[in-house]
Amino acid sequence: MKLQPILDRRVVLVSGKGGVGRTTVTAALARAAAAAGKRVLVAEIEEPATQAQSTLARMFGREVLPVRPTLVAPGVHGCMLATEEGTEQFLGDVFRVQTLARLALRNAALRRLLHAGPSFHEMGIFYQLLHLVRQELPDGRPRWDFLVLDMPATGHTLALTALPDILLRLVRRGPIAAALREGQGWLNDARTGCAVVVTIPEPLPVTESLELVEGLQATRMHVAAMVVNKVPEDPFSAEERAALDELLPPGPLYGKEELARLERTRVSLERLRGAARAPVLAVPQFLADGQGAVEAMTAWFQAEEGLGLSGGGAR
Amino acid sequence: MSRLAAHIHDKRIVICCGAGGVGKTTTSAALAVAAAQDGRRVLVLTIDPSKRLAEALGVTSNTPDPVRVRADREADAGIQAPGALSAWMLDPKLVSDATVRRLVRDPKKAQELLNNPIYQQVTQMIAGMQEYTAMEALHGFVERGEYDLVILDTPPARNALNFLDAPRRLGEFLDGRIFQMLLPDREGKGPLGGTTRMMAAKILSGVFGDEFYTDLQVFFSAFHGIFAQLNGNAQKMRVRMQQDDVVFLLVTSPVRTALDDALYFEDRIRELDLPLGGLILNRSRHLAEARPMPDSGLLPPRATETHRAALAHLVVLAERERKHEAEHRELLSTLVQNAPKDIEVLTVPEFPGGIDDLRGLGELARWMLDETHAHKA
Repeated sequence: MKLQPILDRRVVLVSGKGGVGRTTVTAALARAAAAAGKRVLVAEIEEPATQAQSTLARMFGREVLPVRPTLVAPGVHGCMLATEEGTEQFLGDVFRVQTLARLALRNAALRRLLHAGPSFHEMGIFYQLLHLVRQELPDGRPRWDFLVLDMPATGHTLALTALPDILLRLVRRGPIAAALREGQGWLNDARTGCAVVVTIPEPLPVTESLELVEGLQATRMHVAAMVVNKVPEDPFSAEERAALDELLPPGPLYGKEELARLERTRVSLERLRGAARAPVLAVPQFLADGQGAVEAMTAWFQAEEGLGLSGGGAR
Repeated sequence: MSRLAAHIHDKRIVICCGAGGVGKTTTSAALAVAAAQDGRRVLVLTIDPSKRLAEALGVTSNTPDPVRVRADREADAGIQAPGALSAWMLDPKLVSDATVRRLVRDPKKAQELLNNPIYQQVTQMIAGMQEYTAMEALHGFVERGEYDLVILDTPPARNALNFLDAPRRLGEFLDGRIFQMLLPDREGKGPLGGTTRMMAAKILSGVFGDEFYTDLQVFFSAFHGIFAQLNGNAQKMRVRMQQDDVVFLLVTSPVRTALDDALYFEDRIRELDLPLGGLILNRSRHLAEARPMPDSGLLPPRATETHRAALAHLVVLAERERKHEAEHRELLSTLVQNAPKDIEVLTVPEFPGGIDDLRGLGELARWMLDETHAHKA
């Protein structure tokens, strides 16, 4: 039941280095939350100035995700957080006077400014995230009560989570400061926001994930869980493992690599459980990849973690 | 000599690109070891290495200058390098500070700029700044000519070529009218008329707040010249990168999406008219030699049920392993078929447990220079 508390958060940032299956975990969390009756929005962050391919979109059988939330799976909306969209929302909110807002929005030079600075990209993303968190249904309930975000590479994740503190030292008053404080209220409060760190059971990824947890905590994010992905199933009982040692010939043999991997997995998990200041969840390796892996992982989350099954779809 | 060995021998700049998590930093560091063994004075410019790898290279604390890997440590790791191996971890703040000091001759004026609060905060930011300063750092090291070869490990981003683009975005902004609006009003003498300026001021102070808007004006007027210079250097490097002594290497790993990414990067590199010199496929198990499958011949004369069960499990693992290798062979052939004719695909095996020390880098370097590990279409 390590993941269940995550479903109570409004904003969940899923982070981890490339190749560990972070996007699969993001998509599976979204699916499981939707099955629990949550109004789910799954989002990714655009890369500035380029249209790199979207892995998250592929997990929902699409090429790209639009900037406006769109239904991508039962109960799951998806979108891409983009600087420009966030900036426009920001300007729209700042300038209640319509003419000024329109003037600012049409101003290509202002847009360029907002694209150029190293923090403006993050600020635009941050603001769009805030805008989505704020959205309400006509009856006052949140439009999205589970917003799960596929975060980019480690450095960029920390850039986003560190943004409010750094910028607030510079900008103490005005609309930017107000937006940053409001966003911080959502992200840094463990009741509403958390991070999930994804890794794989290999020595170097484990080291780096522990560093990432430290980094996230330094930016005041609550790390709700470490998900160890692609954990190979160890089929041997202790007796069988002992018997196996009597069978193994000294030379090369198919199966020895996998045995070595099982050993690395055991050591990695032990190390993580000893060092991590967050619950560690080992998720098995699934045979499928892409959408198939998302489905398998969602089912596993539900069956093994009870995720979503007690969540109350009847709210 | 393999083509990669030739690059290491001849080129002045090698740039390693690829998606996150494919082993770019390790590859860059191993190439540097190879170059030093080849007798070259080489600098590997890494970005965000893992702690252990940074320790292996001796660049843990952000040193102001590149650190030469000590000869005794090379010897301990079985590396004989007649050249010189240096490493540096890209530190955006150090690069920016050094640039300000270099461009502003008057030390007092330079210190004033370095003390600007906006400057201080901006240079602390992690993202973006790497992209902005990578080109400047590269420019500095290439200009000074202390190294025969500089190997750049590109910043982690889904699109690893962002660092080429970031300075252009800064340039667009500097050339734009908005920049004029941010400069303090010199009594209407600027290119903008009074009404436009007033409207702009209203918008900008609305966005940033009055206080920060004033701070921004001070910052931009102080840093105007520096930005222009940075942009100039970045443009120079951009042109410089199209020359013959530069090569881009694409690093990838054997997962289907990584191969898609590789093909995508390759398109982009070609679109930008940059010299793509090869693909490095990391952690590939295609080369594993055929070996026996476990079978009942392994069972002892009086095998117990436990022995049999253990063997059955081992057979499952062995089948998975063999299938895995077959998939890697298939991926490799797809990659070789899709690669342009003049591009070599170099395959690197999975080093169990990863590489995090100098000895490991030495082994990887030897592997990479072995011609038999290169594949051509």
